[in-house]
Amino acid sequence: MDLFTDIKELAEAWGPSGCEGPAGDLAMFMLESYCSEVHASGNNVIGRFGTHQKGKPHLVLDAHIDQIGMIVTGISDDGFVKVDSLGGIDRRLLPTQQVLIYGERQIPGVFSTLPPHLAQGGNKVMTFAEAAIDTGLPKEELEELVSPGDCVKFDVKLKRLLGERVTCGALDDRCGVACILYALELLKGCELRYNVTVIFSCQEEVGERGAKIGAFELSPDIAIAVDVSFAMNTGEDPKKCGELGKGPMIGISPSLSRRVSDKLIACAKAAQIPFQYEVMNGTTGTNADRYSVERGGAETGTVSIPLRNMHTPAEVIDIEDVRLSARLLAEFIKEEQK
Amino acid sequence: MTELLKRLCLINGVSGDEDRVREAVIGRIRDHCDELSTDPLGSLIAFKSGRSAGKKLMVCAHMDEVGFIITHINSDGTLSFDEVGGIDPSVVIGRQVKVGKAGLEGVVGSPAVHNLSKEEREAPPKFSGMTIDIGASSKEEAEKYVSPGDCAYFSSEFLEMGSRIKSKAIDDRAGCAMMIRLMQEDLPYDTWFVFNVQEEIGLRGSAASAFTVAPDFALVLEATTAADIDGVSGQKKVCSLGGGPVVGFMDRRTIYDRDLYRLAFDTAKEMGIPCQTKTAVAGGNDAGAIHISGRGVRTLAVSVPCRYLHSPACVIDREDLENTYALVRELAGRIPGL
Repeated sequence: MDLFTDIKELAEAWGPSGCEGPAGDLAMFMLESYCSEVHASGNNVIGRFGTHQKGKPHLVLDAHIDQIGMIVTGISDDGFVKVDSLGGIDRRLLPTQQVLIYGERQIPGVFSTLPPHLAQGGNKVMTFAEAAIDTGLPKEELEELVSPGDCVKFDVKLKRLLGERVTCGALDDRCGVACILYALELLKGCELRYNVTVIFSCQEEVGERGAKIGAFELSPDIAIAVDVSFAMNTGEDPKKCGELGKGPMIGISPSLSRRVSDKLIACAKAAQIPFQYEVMNGTTGTNADRYSVERGGAETGTVSIPLRNMHTPAEVIDIEDVRLSARLLAEFIKEEQK
Repeated sequence: MTELLKRLCLINGVSGDEDRVREAVIGRIRDHCDELSTDPLGSLIAFKSGRSAGKKLMVCAHMDEVGFIITHINSDGTLSFDEVGGIDPSVVIGRQVKVGKAGLEGVVGSPAVHNLSKEEREAPPKFSGMTIDIGASSKEEAEKYVSPGDCAYFSSEFLEMGSRIKSKAIDDRAGCAMMIRLMQEDLPYDTWFVFNVQEEIGLRGSAASAFTVAPDFALVLEATTAADIDGVSGQKKVCSLGGGPVVGFMDRRTIYDRDLYRLAFDTAKEMGIPCQTKTAVAGGNDAGAIHISGRGVRTLAVSVPCRYLHSPACVIDREDLENTYALVRELAGRIPGL
């Protein structure tokens, strides 16, 4: 597989929370190359890797398939599309941001704003009540094409930066999806310590809802959430961030299994995979939080890909980090060489 | 004219950096004028003879667009920058940009919304502290590609949205496009055409070129501030898309020639095309430098109404552009005969 192409296709696919269809279909198609049995459960995409054998613990690899976005609430009298947020949107960057509305067809638009010539001491960030999308279409035509409940996403194409760094929206968490797929690629033909199931779960950005029902359905012994975490960048706190290009961030937290964290660290060290510590003091804000306490509980871990500008259309990752994270997952899952 | 506008808008040319725009203009007007020269600042001055001499009319537009200039390369490989021209920082964060003549891909990042305090989330962003990320992992790597003084540009596709057009740099490539088209026509009167530099940093190019040409009349072709957006009513709209060419009586820099102002509305009425004024005294354009050049120049500005000026997503109406052109063409045939 070509990791760059997979990440590009996944990151540009449609899938705001609750509207994951196209991204889910693409991920399912990609997953079918590795799993004999793949199915959709609601908007969750689930695949069984290899043949599950009696007696082995059940390991679930989770990455969320949804992305932050917006949802149409109505059309204003002046023919602008009104929306509210799906997930944590930074409203400071909305003015003139280019979007796509998933109506009867895909309709491009931009968020309205006043030009600096007319803005009067604008000391306020626009609220969603004020925000409005300009589609260039007359109201009557718009009403034929767009309805309340339609999804909206930032319209951005993946671009290559220097080295192996890339920028796009929705890298949170499509790079996690690509990472799991690459881990399966590495595991082809290997003896496994676990019965492995993959889930690309929906609605993480609105409160890990897809993982809640996914955890119930799959009932894992161990679950690893493969998500993104903060990479150091201008304006960020180095104590709270990993760094781009320095490898996977392994989570350590009271809510995670210390045994899983230690094992991940041991695997990274043994295979000489560079890694970073991500120490948290409570829950993790990832799907791991759901797996820990669903049914009778499960051991959980997090492997996070460092990412800059989270939840913006200008997210940045280093593809080497995705590769290293996939290697770490593969090392964790592979039967140890005798 | 849409195709011509597209070609011009997609060229990158911030104030002081108009070379590529000028080359493109020269290629299109070389065979349609009698004299052509570039002045010491970089403005392009062309003379085209008409069927008769008349009084001396100068038609002009500016080639530069708002953008950015790299001021410093930081130790982490990010680029510090200043804005060139008046730009609202909220149309810059979380955006893709192009850097330098080679058009290197970059993004303007932002600390993740998760890591901002409640106050920070509600405070409009500022340029101080923003950086451009080209994917470099060190100062040394960035220095191979970028030098302080290089310009950076909005990265935005040219998009037709219904009857509307969305692009960067419509201010003032729309004016340039109308001039190029006018120069391809058979003109009733001798006319001077000036493509100015450095409008966006304070009407610099036009100050020099107006002196050089020393016209009796000036017709400034522009794109101006339409605020006909959701939640704005009445006079605060300033001008509206679909309302035809905008002819103002006054802005922050100029009180326009009263006779020319009336002539414009009378002419539009005769032609049966809509024409509107600006219902606010706001903004300014090259007329500000031109009308007080030498012993004074009788000046009028005719503009295409444009939403979201000075952003990556300026929006105009195609019909407004055609109607503005039709009015300009007619005025150029009448003013020298006054």
